[in-house]
Amino acid sequence: MSLHFIEFELNGRRIEGSAEARCTLADFLRNDAGCTGTHAGCEHGVCGACTVIVDGEAVRSCLMLAVQANGKRVETIEGLAGEDGTLHPIQQMFREEFALQCGFCTPGFLMTLVSMDRAEPRPEAAEMRAALSGHLCRCTGYQGVLRVVDRLAGKGQ
Amino acid sequence: MKAAPFDYLEAYSADEAVHLMHESGADAAILAGGQTLMPLLALRMATPSVLVDINPAKDMAGITRGDHGIRVGARTRQAAAKRDPVIAQHLPVLTEALTHVGHHQTRSRGTIGGSTALGEPAAELPATAVALGALVELRSKRGTRLVPARDFYIGPYMTVRADDEVLLAVHYPEWAEGTKVIFDEVARRAGDFALVGLVMLLDVRERRIHRAGIAWFGMGPTPVAATAAEAALTGCTISDIDVAELSQIALTEVEPGDDLHATSEYRRKVASRIFKAKLASSLEKVAL
Amino acid sequence: MSQGGSAPAVRFVGKRMLRKEDERLLTGRGTFIDDVIVPGMLHASFVRSNIARGKIERLDADRARALPGVVAVYTAANMRELNVRYVNELFDMPGCPHPDNGLLARADVRFAGDPVAIVIAESRALAEDGAALVEVVYRAEQPVIGIDAAKSSPPIHPEHADNLSNSQSSGDDPQIDAVFAGAAHVVEGTINNCRQAHVPMEPRGLVVWPQGADELTIHIACQSPHFASKHIANVFNLRETQVRVIAKDVGGAFGLKFTSQRDELAVVAAALLLRRPIKWIEDRLENLTVAGQSRDDRMHIRLAFDADHRLLAADIAYDIDFGAYPYAVQVASSLVTPMFPGPYRLPHYRWKASGWYTNTSGLAPYRGPWMLEMFGRETLLDVAARQMGVDPIELRRKNIIGKPDQPFEMKSGIVLTDISPRETMEMTVEAIDVSTFRKQQAAARAEGRYLGLGIANAVEPTTVSFGYFTSDVAHIRIEPSGNVTVMTTNLSQGHGTPTTVAQIVADQLGVAFQDVTVFEGDSARTGFGAGAGGSRQAVAGGGAAIMAAGQLRDKIRRIAAHAFNASPQSVRIEDGVITIDGSPEISSTIAEIAQMAYFNADRLPPGTETGLETHYRYSPPPMVFANATHACICEVDIETGKVSILRWIAGGDCGEVINPAIVEGQIAGGVVQGIAGVLFEHSRYDDDGQPLAVTLKDYLLPTALDVPRIEFRHMCTPSSTPGGFKGVGEGGAMVAPPALVNAIADALAPFGKRWLDMPLSPDRIVMGLEEAV
Repeated sequence: MSLHFIEFELNGRRIEGSAEARCTLADFLRNDAGCTGTHAGCEHGVCGACTVIVDGEAVRSCLMLAVQANGKRVETIEGLAGEDGTLHPIQQMFREEFALQCGFCTPGFLMTLVSMDRAEPRPEAAEMRAALSGHLCRCTGYQGVLRVVDRLAGKGQ
Repeated sequence: MKAAPFDYLEAYSADEAVHLMHESGADAAILAGGQTLMPLLALRMATPSVLVDINPAKDMAGITRGDHGIRVGARTRQAAAKRDPVIAQHLPVLTEALTHVGHHQTRSRGTIGGSTALGEPAAELPATAVALGALVELRSKRGTRLVPARDFYIGPYMTVRADDEVLLAVHYPEWAEGTKVIFDEVARRAGDFALVGLVMLLDVRERRIHRAGIAWFGMGPTPVAATAAEAALTGCTISDIDVAELSQIALTEVEPGDDLHATSEYRRKVASRIFKAKLASSLEKVAL
Repeated sequence: MSQGGSAPAVRFVGKRMLRKEDERLLTGRGTFIDDVIVPGMLHASFVRSNIARGKIERLDADRARALPGVVAVYTAANMRELNVRYVNELFDMPGCPHPDNGLLARADVRFAGDPVAIVIAESRALAEDGAALVEVVYRAEQPVIGIDAAKSSPPIHPEHADNLSNSQSSGDDPQIDAVFAGAAHVVEGTINNCRQAHVPMEPRGLVVWPQGADELTIHIACQSPHFASKHIANVFNLRETQVRVIAKDVGGAFGLKFTSQRDELAVVAAALLLRRPIKWIEDRLENLTVAGQSRDDRMHIRLAFDADHRLLAADIAYDIDFGAYPYAVQVASSLVTPMFPGPYRLPHYRWKASGWYTNTSGLAPYRGPWMLEMFGRETLLDVAARQMGVDPIELRRKNIIGKPDQPFEMKSGIVLTDISPRETMEMTVEAIDVSTFRKQQAAARAEGRYLGLGIANAVEPTTVSFGYFTSDVAHIRIEPSGNVTVMTTNLSQGHGTPTTVAQIVADQLGVAFQDVTVFEGDSARTGFGAGAGGSRQAVAGGGAAIMAAGQLRDKIRRIAAHAFNASPQSVRIEDGVITIDGSPEISSTIAEIAQMAYFNADRLPPGTETGLETHYRYSPPPMVFANATHACICEVDIETGKVSILRWIAGGDCGEVINPAIVEGQIAGGVVQGIAGVLFEHSRYDDDGQPLAVTLKDYLLPTALDVPRIEFRHMCTPSSTPGGFKGVGEGGAMVAPPALVNAIADALAPFGKRWLDMPLSPDRIVMGLEEAV
């Protein structure tokens, strides 16, 4: 079993460590990088709770090996809010729309929507809504997150 | 659900990938997008001793036009292919298929080659390759070969790719401009594998079917080429086509199974319905 | 409770206050069980049976123990070193035998996934490597799968006489058969609810941390720290004061985390044996297949109506498949038959209810575990309406009770009060414009499209409050600074109770919402309480908070009155500011009073205890009723069998609402689970007892693209409890399935089939329509 040196940019800071080949990016973030905001909901790439942003794109961190993150820019939920604690506008929208209850699935949803919100060109409303198919939530019945996407897509209520 | 231990090697080029697969023996697996392999590893349903990661192999990604149509490198991300203007213009059926492949979050890592090489019977890309008449480029130390997609799939998740062969690219032949494209999929939820899926291309010239390419997914242990229906349609005048009869012929080769989500009877019934509906509406469009 | 002056102004209760817990949850700083790390922590993984039933012939853990990184492997034999009593006094039902095959299976296994060994290692990955090296040889036996097999097969638990867990009946009713015989209409049918799984996004897990001979701290994803503490203490012969249970953020539960299951207790055992901290986090495969499952019940129903479509009699037989090791669900499912009459007049009622053991994963209570009573009743009412040629809404109008009819005694003996079934139904129906819909439906049918409308009425007994659920406690103290600390026995797994209780306390005390902090989730912080379950927290926890806060408000008034030479009745508290009626020059603050209370004892009225802290243990009434009527409009694509939900109206009366956004969130979450239980979810077993839905690719949950935008209509009939609140957590999950099934059946009415076998998957609908042709 090979052991690997791990080095990547995490939320704007360079981090390094070492991990077994089989260690997933999700487990590395949680256990080695001290970022437990990324949650493991299924470990087989369906629920979306582990979604992070790698080089600008939303990816399932349980389906990437930690060693594959070498040299990349990784962003997790912990990097979204401002240094002074001000919530990212989409975090604030989640709060206002009651788009979370237990909060376990929330980081995944947020990283997908943040990555799409800042993509160039900005995705159409339909594409943003379609991206919600990659996330499971058991508490809210999705009503709040659908309202958040309405707002992101520019529809007023 | 943690994977069993393995060694990890990186391939920085196609040559290196071929070399590493040759060296590592039968118990090595290629890591492309990881969207399918990683879950299998986590469930310990796959326990390769070596993983060869082709993600660093830049020469394994990319979209070019060549002798056999549009060559899409195996490591091309599904998301990139979905956005690609060359594919949109010359292979619109592939663009359409890609909107159904997985989810936004899996297409960012998932690859054309990975999905094509896996041979999931209910997946979109293998069937699209079959319908288009694509060629799969395989290379090993013994050389390179181009295998027609129609011959590539031999069983569920089973292909003719040898253990030491690396799928380098898929060559998708371009069909004539104006080819009618039909892509339909019945799935329980968006992004799920299909219960029943149909890819159909109709090259219509002067109200005659010049060429037809038809493949089912979710309708057998492999993607199923509806060769009898293709033959029956080729050369036909639009007005001569009996849609109901064709929908029977189109099911000649299918062997749908029963699984947790649907029975084989359901699949046959629904396949017949969507074939009829899609063929009829496509022909109406031409007739107008 | 002494009133003393006018009641406090309502400034926060009733408002959509943003949740306090969101700051940490949105920024990834929650503390879920897998985020808990303690020094020296080891990790556990289970070896589980891969057959549904059989004898363990050989178990060899030598290779596993020899693997570097594996610290221990324990089996049932090791459990004998501990004095383990496998009992669950909180939930064991009197007269209901408790199957006992140890925490780890002893000589035989009784379901696929039965834990036979636990491997402890330095990491979870190593523990799994170790588990893969444990060799177990089984001699497989024919498993008992399904209720029919349970009824006719020898017992799966050898110490029992048969596979009947428990059975009750209403007994003989000499009149009822004559009523059925003479009735103008008799309608009969059987509804089958498929087995489902709770699937909270966070699976189960715990960290067991022995800290000395007398100290055990257990972090666990649970619904009640005190229930967990007491249960674990009982099982391991400890005192509950030795077992501190902590849960900060729990990622959903829905009943799954109500009571510790055998494998969780096995982790505690391992930690006690090894005297090292151990973490176990269930993986999703385990969560789907071996954690408690749900539903899997059926009801055969006969209804008798007179010529005017009024209900005369109901005769039901209810059976539920408990699996091999049910958890707490025996008690919960015993509500099925008492609640079956619902909000309707029913002169005669006979019932029988039985629970059965099979070689499958045991059941745990799931969001409204008795919901088959309304699922069966409401779907059969629509079947009856179609059979008798009467409109389903009209049929209900003829039989439903309303506010003027209460108190109303159900035929089962339960007395309904403070609910508004008729009024809520009319409110929901009014939101639909039924006549326009019927025209649209007819026009669509002419085009070969099938639209349907379904409604369902429900009465929900919320706030279960007997036995161990009798009371909850709130401790409130105003700190010397004037800020308010509240500790309750509520526990949110998403419920928002830290916010709703703060709303209540801020109103009661007259302080700012941001000045109130609510703590939950620690058995050492408060006295015994029930936590979450049975839709109780608003009433029980909220009620305790109201009463405790009222006591503190009275004390503040007395202290201020004494300090400012006024009467307590003239003291006003608003936004933390204290004024005296008739003395506009006087202005003080809660903070000043608090300083006085803690540090200037001589300024207090004589005989007053220093400080500003109190607690109140509140005992709600045995049941607090809520009611709901949901309506669904759907379209069924008869070519593919797919169902699209076009409109969903959630009408309900849950009394006074603390936070409408939170209430609507609870209802919505339940509705979507209910929809999923009709269309998508199925924990199927094959004939060999192998679970077939083992990943989230097989066990289908809806996504945001599969759900309607729910429209809410609220009615308010306050309960008789301190806040006028009622429970609302489970209602949506219970009433949604019949509303949806009725809509589907209405859409497909031209085909004359019944749709009572869940799930109504595309395959079932298409193949069912084939049969109808």
